[in-house]
Amino acid sequence: MAENISNLKQALLAGDHKRAQTEAVALKSQGMSIEDIVRLGIQPAMEALDSKCTVDQFNLLEIMLTGRAVAAVAKELFPEVSQPPNPKATVVVASLEGDIHDIGKNILRMVLIVHRYKVVDCGKDQAVATVVAQVQAENAQALCISGLITSVIPKVRSVRAALNAAGLQHVRLLAGGAALKQSNAEALDVDYVGQTAFDGAIWLEQFWGETS
Amino acid sequence: MNSVERILATLRFGQADRPPVIPQIFAHAAVLKGLSIEAYVSSGEIAANCQLEALKRYQADAVFAALDVCVESAAVGCEVEYRQNIYPAVTRPAFEPDTDFDSLQVPDPATAKRMPEVLKLAGNLRQAVGDETLVVGVVQGPMTLAIQFLGMETALLLSHDDPERFKRLLDFTTAVATRFGQAQLAAGAHVCLVFDPAACPELVPVPFFTDWIGPRIANIFRDFKAAGASANWLHIAGNALPILPFYQKIGADIGNFDYTVEPENLIAAVPKALCLDGNIKPLAFVEDTPDMIEAESCRLIDSFASRGGFILSSGCEIPPEAKPENIEAMVKAAKRACFQHG
Repeated sequence: MAENISNLKQALLAGDHKRAQTEAVALKSQGMSIEDIVRLGIQPAMEALDSKCTVDQFNLLEIMLTGRAVAAVAKELFPEVSQPPNPKATVVVASLEGDIHDIGKNILRMVLIVHRYKVVDCGKDQAVATVVAQVQAENAQALCISGLITSVIPKVRSVRAALNAAGLQHVRLLAGGAALKQSNAEALDVDYVGQTAFDGAIWLEQFWGETS
Repeated sequence: MNSVERILATLRFGQADRPPVIPQIFAHAAVLKGLSIEAYVSSGEIAANCQLEALKRYQADAVFAALDVCVESAAVGCEVEYRQNIYPAVTRPAFEPDTDFDSLQVPDPATAKRMPEVLKLAGNLRQAVGDETLVVGVVQGPMTLAIQFLGMETALLLSHDDPERFKRLLDFTTAVATRFGQAQLAAGAHVCLVFDPAACPELVPVPFFTDWIGPRIANIFRDFKAAGASANWLHIAGNALPILPFYQKIGADIGNFDYTVEPENLIAAVPKALCLDGNIKPLAFVEDTPDMIEAESCRLIDSFASRGGFILSSGCEIPPEAKPENIEAMVKAAKRACFQHG
């Protein structure tokens, strides 16, 4: 069984979703509990990925492959559940009105799913009021705004006030994307500006990570 | 010394009267003239007039025969959304994972969607500036086109699951970039910049660039030189430091570096044969003051003073809503270097 757990971790880190799924099936058939497969297999693999990926060194392709492998194993272990089992928190991601580009938002969504957050994708080109309503409806703990174009910055600056007006002062507010990462948290009136999607996810981990 | 002579001398590490200065201005030229971004990206004639007005105002060393990053995508059939004051964006890729990449037709730049407008833009600019100011054409690089044509997630997963099929897609996107760039050179561009932000190490591992993308860009550059390009210019936005040392080997004469790359690290990593351009933070042109831009420009010029081979520029495109006085400050800093060193 120890060999299968080691194989599962290796398959997850290599992004080999088929082999990861096979190893998870083998572990289940050997009688290992689902909780132990998550605790001894998936969790250490994610921690290894965390330590490998820094602001200076990560690439989206490897993260996507690991994310797909984790999703394949999760589907094997929790076939009835569409979102990650026991999500750490609910996070709304959005691009604001005037920004019709969504590559950055989609990258962040994938990275957060890999980190076992429930992600509600509000879409691109969304009014601040719509995004805030979505945060309220989902009872989300964090809101992540991605921006590719600098002209959207004035809208980003209005989000915190809109959250406060809706009684959502407790919601963590993260900004990122090619345009927004050139600014800073104070100038944007947000809690943090992620230099990469992974940097943003690591920042969220201080509130909802395994060791927080 | 005119702008073309100044740039060619700089990229050969020869004696120039001052550092060349090239603000990366596209739709900012339209805003400067009181026109919408949509008007700029829709007409080569309008875009040329805007670029020439911007040249008159800023007196920089180059003009750009570029509309936006979706010209090639629209030409192969991607769905593209246009808005009045935002750059176009691809909303639906043209291809599916099971598309037969071998049977695709490379778009004809003379007829395909907005490609002829880019050719008109290049032609009008060259006619207006002759060989006094550098006319820079732009194509999207093979990796960026692959992601636009197929969708980011699908393209990246295909590269892992079926590398041979993905390489055939890259061969197609390479052919699209080559043909479009050759047409721009024939229309009047002195050089054709390859813009490939999706080749950045933040998206794909370094060996992905050195083994798959780099050799294809090398072929593009070889064909551009054969078509008369004065130089080859590679622009990969983001933290491209790990791959910048390879640029010269694949035929680049100029390599752009974005604001996240520190000049000191770059100088240590890159062969002296590669001319470098960069790297003022684009948002600074919107939010900073002219004094701040001038100080940053001087810092950059000083950083490269002993190395040479440096073009003062922005790290990436200057946002359309940038303050004109900030762009003027950058140009002023380069021209002041003339009085100090000339």
